[in-house]
Amino acid sequence: MTKSSATGQPMPQATSPSTAPSLVATFFDRPLPLYLSAAVFRLVFLLYGLWQDANSPVKYTDIDYLVFTDAARFVSQGLSPYERETYRYTPVLAWLLIPTAHVTGHQILDVAFFSSGKVLFAIADLIAGWLLEKVLAKSMDGPRARKFATIWLLNPMVATISTRGSSEGLLGVLVVALLWAVLERRVTLAGLLLGFSVHFKIYPFIYAPAIVWWMDNESMFPNKTNPPKSSQPTSLTTRIINFITPARIQLAVISLTTFSTLNMAMYLIYGHPFLQETYLHHVTRIDHRHNFSPYNTQLYLSSSLPPSLSPSFQIEKLAFLPQLLLSALLIPLVSAKKSLPTSMLAQTFAFVTFNKVCTSQYFLWYMVLLPLYLPQSSFLKNKKFGVAALVLWVLSQGAWLQQGFELEFLGRSTFLPGLWLASLGFFGVNCWILGVVIGDVGRL
Amino acid sequence: MRERITFVQKEGDSIEPTALKVDGNGLRGPEVKAVREDRLTFALDELPAELKTLLEGVNQLHIRWVGPVAYEAVSPLLARLPPGFHLFYTPGSDTSTNPCPLLNKAFGTNSCSSPSESFTTLPTDRFTHSTAHQFYQPLPSLSAFTNFAKSQLCPAGSSTQSFCESRLSSLNKASQLDISYDTISHTLRLTSLGPYGSQSLSASLLSPSIRTEVGIISTASPKTLEPHEVGISGLLTVLGQQTAPSPILFSFPSRHRDAASSFTSRFLSPTGLHPTLQLSISSPTPPKASPNPETCRLHGYFTLPKTIFPDRYQLDDELFLASKNLIKVRYVTPGVDLEAPEYVMTTWGSAMLVELAPPSQGGEGKGEWTAEVPLHLRYLAPSVTGYRTAEVPYPALFWACTAEEGTKFPTNPFEKDKVGYDGLFGERTVFWHLSPKPEQGDNRLVNTIKVPVLNLERADWVTVGTAAVVLLGFAWVVVKLLLVVFGGNTVDKEKKKQ
Repeated sequence: MTKSSATGQPMPQATSPSTAPSLVATFFDRPLPLYLSAAVFRLVFLLYGLWQDANSPVKYTDIDYLVFTDAARFVSQGLSPYERETYRYTPVLAWLLIPTAHVTGHQILDVAFFSSGKVLFAIADLIAGWLLEKVLAKSMDGPRARKFATIWLLNPMVATISTRGSSEGLLGVLVVALLWAVLERRVTLAGLLLGFSVHFKIYPFIYAPAIVWWMDNESMFPNKTNPPKSSQPTSLTTRIINFITPARIQLAVISLTTFSTLNMAMYLIYGHPFLQETYLHHVTRIDHRHNFSPYNTQLYLSSSLPPSLSPSFQIEKLAFLPQLLLSALLIPLVSAKKSLPTSMLAQTFAFVTFNKVCTSQYFLWYMVLLPLYLPQSSFLKNKKFGVAALVLWVLSQGAWLQQGFELEFLGRSTFLPGLWLASLGFFGVNCWILGVVIGDVGRL
Repeated sequence: MRERITFVQKEGDSIEPTALKVDGNGLRGPEVKAVREDRLTFALDELPAELKTLLEGVNQLHIRWVGPVAYEAVSPLLARLPPGFHLFYTPGSDTSTNPCPLLNKAFGTNSCSSPSESFTTLPTDRFTHSTAHQFYQPLPSLSAFTNFAKSQLCPAGSSTQSFCESRLSSLNKASQLDISYDTISHTLRLTSLGPYGSQSLSASLLSPSIRTEVGIISTASPKTLEPHEVGISGLLTVLGQQTAPSPILFSFPSRHRDAASSFTSRFLSPTGLHPTLQLSISSPTPPKASPNPETCRLHGYFTLPKTIFPDRYQLDDELFLASKNLIKVRYVTPGVDLEAPEYVMTTWGSAMLVELAPPSQGGEGKGEWTAEVPLHLRYLAPSVTGYRTAEVPYPALFWACTAEEGTKFPTNPFEKDKVGYDGLFGERTVFWHLSPKPEQGDNRLVNTIKVPVLNLERADWVTVGTAAVVLLGFAWVVVKLLLVVFGGNTVDKEKKKQ
């Protein structure tokens, strides 16, 4: 990898033939070695996890996986998945995992059935990687596209998360598939994917403005010669009329129909618990156990004050403003037409950074888009700069984790100032990185 | 109204009838080591109006208070509960009846607001002898109740007021208090137990109209005693009616027995936000006195205030439990929120019954061993020091053994039922109790944890600081966006240079 990353300039073929075909180069020549090793990589993690679960009191499997599979068991018995406490997802996830509830009485078969959800998540990882390659291949050759897809495919963090049974990988494949469908101009598919992913996890709605903004006639029909720009400035009315294109209407109608049909269906089947657990919970939640969010300390403070004592002005009530302004309006307006993948990465990064709750699982939301941005990034153009940014990100996170460890396991009251300052520091580093990403958009 | 006073001595201790002086007003005798039990039984009509109105709307109400100070239990008064104020409650047909205001007034409790908000629901499908609801609050002292009882029971200005009040003052020294009411008996029974210790045998008539029985008893083992029975011998006097005590000897099956072993409870250090409660148990073997030790399983019954909770999903894995020397969680209050901070919780907390795994009796099966119960703290409200103290009562530990088929346990004169865990076992279960030994020098059966919370003294800058940093970050990103929109020229220039 060190050698291949040295060829980060846009003309790899000029440099590679001069050296003897190395093992690394042959590895990326064809798709099979990469995908096979990505699959084996996950299989090893999965089997190791089974061994650890069977032999150690410390479990490899994520608590969330037990939530999903419990919910799937309820569903397989004809009950509501919300019978399981803390199941805060769409019933579709529980349906997908129904095989995990299957019991044959044969021990090995039962373990296999129970683990089938992890296999599903791992396969979703692989498909996301494959789609990444397809998107990358639009602007580079296959081996180079596969090199960048490797950042996702052979990422130990990604493989661990999916084989521990976290469903975030499922969202990764949905988001990359959405991007791929848009870039392929498959509007119906894009609409279906957008509607479904918003139903699945709400946050992908931030991609809608970016996609809509990107979908102008120039992007949708790149081969058609554009009419020469008239010297007369177009009026606002014409601009608005020109904005409303058939493709945009198609996307809006299909995604909204998908989203509302799914929600209505779920509401009809499972009633209020579906709304409460999947959506309303995120509005009313007050479980502010410490997390990376800069708002965390403030939320703890204000939630503990009796209503009579709390100030009339509460910044956490306004937290959605900078978050949504950036992730759903300003970033897409500025970047979507220049580079849709980079815009989506920056939007996701902004959404996670400015969110009221932020845990390390959320990092996966933007990590899946990272391979699409890195080829043109200043982080890769200037290696030292890139390494410095990574080190800064890891260090600021490490500082928070250290304070969190002292609180969580040693019982030291590090809420103030340690944990608070650490979360603000991590927030600052993230804002700086976001600024660099946006700066890169300007150079495209 | 009836009164019963019983002095319970240890097995082998007894007193000669001639040592007692009985006259019309009372009984006097020498100093003995004993537990004193005072029991008052009221008919509904004899109760103050407020209490009577409440009880008319109630199906069952049982209060079990246990003091925090370690006490020595004497047979047959062996039932144990975690220290604190326990309430077991079944509403009458009018489910809107709210016992909380009166309970708060009588006991000085503060976390009881209404059954729907504060109580938890008990499983009624398992065994029918359980009440519908449970409530618990740590309550170190009965002083509020003593004052309440004086104001309610001692008629102001009457000749007996000061005598009545001094009698009730002894409640302050009680180690246990039971109050029971149910619609079947239509009587309210109030029983207080003093700590075991030296005291003079003395009892006086509260009022000539009240039937008062005084017993001085100890456990005996007559040859005819069945293995599941407890034998009692001693002297009984009905004040005002008898001038000399009459000897008594009787036996009855008892559900609460002494396992003749002990335990301590403490939190492993550092406690953090996920403290582990460690139980050190003096013996891994079932009680030798049990007629069927092979049926015995060691259990711990926990009442956990809302500051702390068990995660029943975490406690579901056999390997994990085995690593803590636990076998299975037999019961956890359902619906325990696993995320909410303490200051938004309205229900009292949670109860848990856990079966422990004693080491196998071969080899190292002798001597002290430990079991660990992993728990989780909720976020508590901020404080000016950055810490708060959470108090967790000792659990009750007992071997639950099943008596032979056909054994009946009719109510006996010293029965203590509705203790929480009895509703989770079958009717033939006998509880062999381990005696709790305090871990610290203060002799209290309460474990304390120092809980880290947000330090209010440093919180002045949180709102302003958070707002400033978020705005700064936001502004920085917006500036970068504006540079992209309006800074196109600089990029062009760079390109031209290249």
